[in-house]
This record gives sequence, C-alpha cells and structure tokens, in this order.
Amino acid sequence: MSKREDRLRSLLDKVRAKRPEERLTRAADALDRIRTASGTTAAVQQQASPPVPAQAEPPTVPPTPVPRSFPSQVSSSPLPEPPTSPVVESPTRYSSQPPRVERPLSVEPRARSIRPSSGAPPAGTPPRRPESIRPQSVAPTGQPVVYATDPPEFPRPKTFGDLLELTLSLRPR
Amino acid sequence: MHDGRFDPSGFYEFNLTGGIIRTRTGERVAILSEDVLCSLVAAAARDGDLTPLRRLGELLGEHVLGGLDRPASVLSPEAVLGHASAVTSLFGWGRLTFERWGSALVIVLRDRPELDEDELGAAALLGGMFSEISQRQVSCVPTGDSKFIMVDFEVAETVWGWFKDGADLPAIVGMLETKRAS
Repeated sequence: MSKREDRLRSLLDKVRAKRPEERLTRAADALDRIRTASGTTAAVQQQASPPVPAQAEPPTVPPTPVPRSFPSQVSSSPLPEPPTSPVVESPTRYSSQPPRVERPLSVEPRARSIRPSSGAPPAGTPPRRPESIRPQSVAPTGQPVVYATDPPEFPRPKTFGDLLELTLSLRPR
Repeated sequence: MHDGRFDPSGFYEFNLTGGIIRTRTGERVAILSEDVLCSLVAAAARDGDLTPLRRLGELLGEHVLGGLDRPASVLSPEAVLGHASAVTSLFGWGRLTFERWGSALVIVLRDRPELDEDELGAAALLGGMFSEISQRQVSCVPTGDSKFIMVDFEVAETVWGWFKDGADLPAIVGMLETKRAS
C-alpha cells in the first residue's frame, strides 16, 4: 500500500467512527425542532432516548417557584397594606372620623330624644309611657291629648367624657 | 378638637418565615375562623368565664388609645368613635357605631361574629374595650338588636335582669335616671 492509501483508510475509519455521533446530533436537532413545533416533549424524549430507570428520570414537573415569590431573607418586613379596608357606616347618632380608606360618614349627629316618664316605676316592672292627660271636653277627634311632663331635649355632650359621665351616672329609678 | 384620623396602613406585620403575625404595637395575634371562635366563646359563656374576651377588648382599647394624641375624655364622641370603629373593623369584629338614648350611651356592633345567643361575648369584648378607652370600669349590657347600653359596673346586673324579663331598650332607658354618684 502506498502512503496515500494508508492515509485515505485512516480518514475513512475516522469518519465511520464519527457517524454515530453525527446521527445522534442530527437526531437531537430534529428533537429540538419537534419540541419547538409541538410543545410536547415528554413523548418525543421517550422515543429518542434509551429507556432508563425511573429513579434516573428528570422530574417532569418543576418544583414550585416559592423562593422568587417569598424572599426568605426579608420576609419579616411589613406588608404595605392590611388586606381589609374597614368600612364604617353610621346611620345613627354619631358619625365618626373614619380612616382614610373609609367612606365618609354622615356628618350631623341627630339627637334621638326619649321622653322620660314622670313617675318612678318600681324596678322590674314593664316600661311605662308618660301619663296621659285626658281632657274631658276639648278633644275634637275623641283621641286623648298627650302632654309631655318633661321637656324632650337632653343636653348634648360635647366630649366623650361628658357622654361617659352621663351614661355612667344612670341608676335605677 | 382632635382631628387625627386612624391610619390603618401597616397595622399588621406578617413574618412569613417565622409564621408570626404581629400588630404594629408588637403583640402577636392569630387568625381564627369564625366557627372556631364561636365554639370557644360559647364554651366560655357556658362556663361563665368571659375574662379572655374582656381582655381582648382591653387590647383593642389599647390600640384605640394608641391612636389618640389626647385622652379620650377630652375628645369629641365622633373622634373616639372613629378610632374605636377602625380598630374594631381591623380585628374583624364588625361595624361599631354610637347612639344616644336620652342620657344613655348605646354601643351598636353590627355584622360581628355570632358568638353566643345572649350576646354576652360581644358584651364582654365591648366592656373591656371601653373600660380601657375611658380608663373606668364600665359595662356594656346587651339590649337586643346588636345594641349594648353602657352603664356603670354596679347597675349592670339590674339592667341585664330587666332585659331578660322582656324590657326593650326604650323601656330600659325609661327605668333609669341620672344620679350623680355620691
């Protein structure tokens, strides 16, 4: 054999030896194209790669990306806002000064006065309305005319302390 | 008069790593479902010991006081109500409003967790809260329809008896009169 033949054979052997890798490389390229086109990788992978034990398979479901959502180092910092916004509606006597996130309340406190009875009922008895005064001759409709024995107005406390004093001074008649 | 409004931002601090929730004053709190809470309170009411709920009310009152720049007694009822209702809402205890029936201050607490049939759990909570706010021992006695009349500690039992005997709020107020403590 000539030197040239020896060289050619040597080159041919090298090419033969490289062909399996080239096939694998081409198969891998084809796999990538299939993945890109269909988006289904699992089935194609099983066909393209030799079967391996179950323990060696890469996990098909990636782990939950918790660390990105909840940084472990700075999680003790306060959250920007509480989850709930308190809403206070006061259809009654006192309106409040609400937090910024609340709806404004009605402004004018209206006094709901009660009409106290003139006598002192014994404790434990049912409530009594003020005694009616029944004129004998002046009721045009036949209905009794009711007079209040006390003025209905109550002093309006200006401070919470005044309000507190009033309510805490209440005693059974 | 005090014009400061309650600022709810940053009220809670969530430590997700440690699993700890704290209020901005540093006390640790836990979130309970309403069902669990109701069971606990109902059991406490049956046993006649509502001290923990009164203590919780005192904690709420401390938060209210912490948001005021002056004692509650010198502020307007509206200012105190604003802070009290905000704190009550932040703890999930419902909507708080005031009513005045004659000389009586009536606390209204709507949309609260339904604790016990006699509303004694809510009464204990409000009693503790307003005792802390007013720095005096007060009682909030249930009078039906989510309303609680605020009275002196000494007459609470009498008022409660009237309500249990069937008297409604106007009747109860009618059976009370203003007397300065001697």
